[in-house]
Amino acid sequence: MNLIEMEQIYKIYHEGLENEVRALNGIDLSIGRGEFVAIIGASGSGKSTLMNVLGCLDLPSRGTYHLNGKLASSMTDDELSHIRNVEIGFIFQGYNLIPALDALENVELPLIYQGIGAEQRARTAREALERVGLGERVHNYPSQMSGGQQQRVAIARAISTGAPILMADEPTGALDSKTGEQVLDTLHQLHREQGTTILLITHDNKVAAAAERVIRIADGRIVVDCPREEIAL
Amino acid sequence: MNLKQSFRMAFKSIRSNRVRSLLTMLGIIIGVAAVIIMVSVVRGSNRHIKEYYERMGNNRITVSAEQWGGMDISQSLYDYCLSLGPLVYGVTPDITTEGPIIYRDKSTGDMENGSPSIKLGSVQYSLCNNFQIARGRDLCQMDIQSSQQVIILGARTAQYLFNYQNPVGKTVLLRGHPFEVVGVYQAKDPDSEYSMDNMAVVPYTLNRLLNRRDTVDSFTVRASSSETTAEVSSRVSGFLKGQIDTERGYFSVYSENQDMKASDDQNRMMSMVLGGIASISLLVGGIGIMNIMLVTVTERTREIGIRKAIGAKRKSILAQFLIEASVVCGVGGLLGIAIGVAGTLVAGQLILRAVVLPDLPMSAGAFLFSVAMGVGFGIYPAAKASKLQPVVALRAD
Repeated sequence: MNLIEMEQIYKIYHEGLENEVRALNGIDLSIGRGEFVAIIGASGSGKSTLMNVLGCLDLPSRGTYHLNGKLASSMTDDELSHIRNVEIGFIFQGYNLIPALDALENVELPLIYQGIGAEQRARTAREALERVGLGERVHNYPSQMSGGQQQRVAIARAISTGAPILMADEPTGALDSKTGEQVLDTLHQLHREQGTTILLITHDNKVAAAAERVIRIADGRIVVDCPREEIAL
Repeated sequence: MNLKQSFRMAFKSIRSNRVRSLLTMLGIIIGVAAVIIMVSVVRGSNRHIKEYYERMGNNRITVSAEQWGGMDISQSLYDYCLSLGPLVYGVTPDITTEGPIIYRDKSTGDMENGSPSIKLGSVQYSLCNNFQIARGRDLCQMDIQSSQQVIILGARTAQYLFNYQNPVGKTVLLRGHPFEVVGVYQAKDPDSEYSMDNMAVVPYTLNRLLNRRDTVDSFTVRASSSETTAEVSSRVSGFLKGQIDTERGYFSVYSENQDMKASDDQNRMMSMVLGGIASISLLVGGIGIMNIMLVTVTERTREIGIRKAIGAKRKSILAQFLIEASVVCGVGGLLGIAIGVAGTLVAGQLILRAVVLPDLPMSAGAFLFSVAMGVGFGIYPAAKASKLQPVVALRAD
């Protein structure tokens, strides 16, 4: 079984009512280990909903979703928390760092929820920060860092648990093009060196061009799913 | 998430919101301080009163009995009390009379706060009234039997008449009769002007000489403990009922412990009422905590979303907010205790003119209570936080 297996996934709001919205309308998708996939689509296409379901932040209304062999489409709140913690590293558009914590503490957070001891936690978090080139800034607070640096802290947080999947939702959206490229380079490097599976959600074709496989969403359905080379972006 | 981490987080978030945290704590601080001050001061005054009774000699039973027609019951009362064995500590005639004591050019009649009371007692007078000899000797059996004109002075009286001289061996005049000072009592109540130390004791067998009377009609019986006081009272009553024909005489038995108990009850009631009022202010403080925690949850919805997205379970979020609430309350409680202790010292000085210290169990209790309140009033906001859906929470600003 592939790392990600989705069958007939629907996400329907106000089902049966007049204002019914089918944010996901029958998605079949499988993504193998080690792939670098870009999910693209206009705003309102359903790509954010897909990202939420893929990232176990939200449950589908219907359909089955297996993540790493586990049936994620019918889990409890705490089971979802656990699977997010060990299987997925998130990188958000708005970085989503906790302002009251410094870089190291932010990176340590998912490790804390795994119950890892303080010493090992600090070591792992420091290594992750060094890998994204922030070894010198472990005690800086988010407010003391540039957008690019904050996003790299977020990447360090995402990779610190060694999760097999990285999900990046518009990771360059809030960055200028140069720092955006650096962030994408970091993702590439992780993909090459660690074989991390990367899901990149974006509306920006240039960003999607970094991926190996491109999936385009429109009206809650997959309209294009092909290798990078076969699509003109 | 382990506990240590949670506590660090809680302190961090308190520090990053100093003013708000302090305002939040204010209710708890005032509540705890008020409870401690009020209860301590009431308890302090209670102890004050108790100590007064104890110095005066507690467990005392005042017996008055007279059979008209001249029969003296002192010997039979003495014998009866002796028969009560370990229930009774001592028994003495206890007649109060007055009359200036004169030494050279000084007369106690000129004393500012009134002249001393002259007590007629037996060798057990000091035992029954909790006096101790500071100088010289106490009354002895010989003095009683042969009606010696000897006198023991209370500390205040001795000081007035003799200043810093040693009164023992000197002769004073009481109602014109010469008395030899054989002893001086230790001061029982050195701070008070109207003191129980302004007195003197002479053998009760001088009743005839001083009062022109042969019978002794009042006694002090001292029971061995507060538990036996009531029993001795009732037994003595029973005994006197058999001895005295109420058609031709009377008797009364009265224990000061009753006074003490009444004032005790009054104090307990007062401490409950005041403690109750202070507890209401604590409760209001607790509601303030709940309010602020709810605001905090709303404000930190995004943080909660982030935490849940990266793997926080419900109980981790619940624990985080509960610990924060109880740390706020606990710190507030500690500050409240500090202010309460200081306030108690000040109030003790102002109201009772004494050092009153709040007791440890109550302070510990106030602290635990405030932490418990943090948990109690933090539960609803914390539960609300833990149930947030990450997708919804992440969308918040």
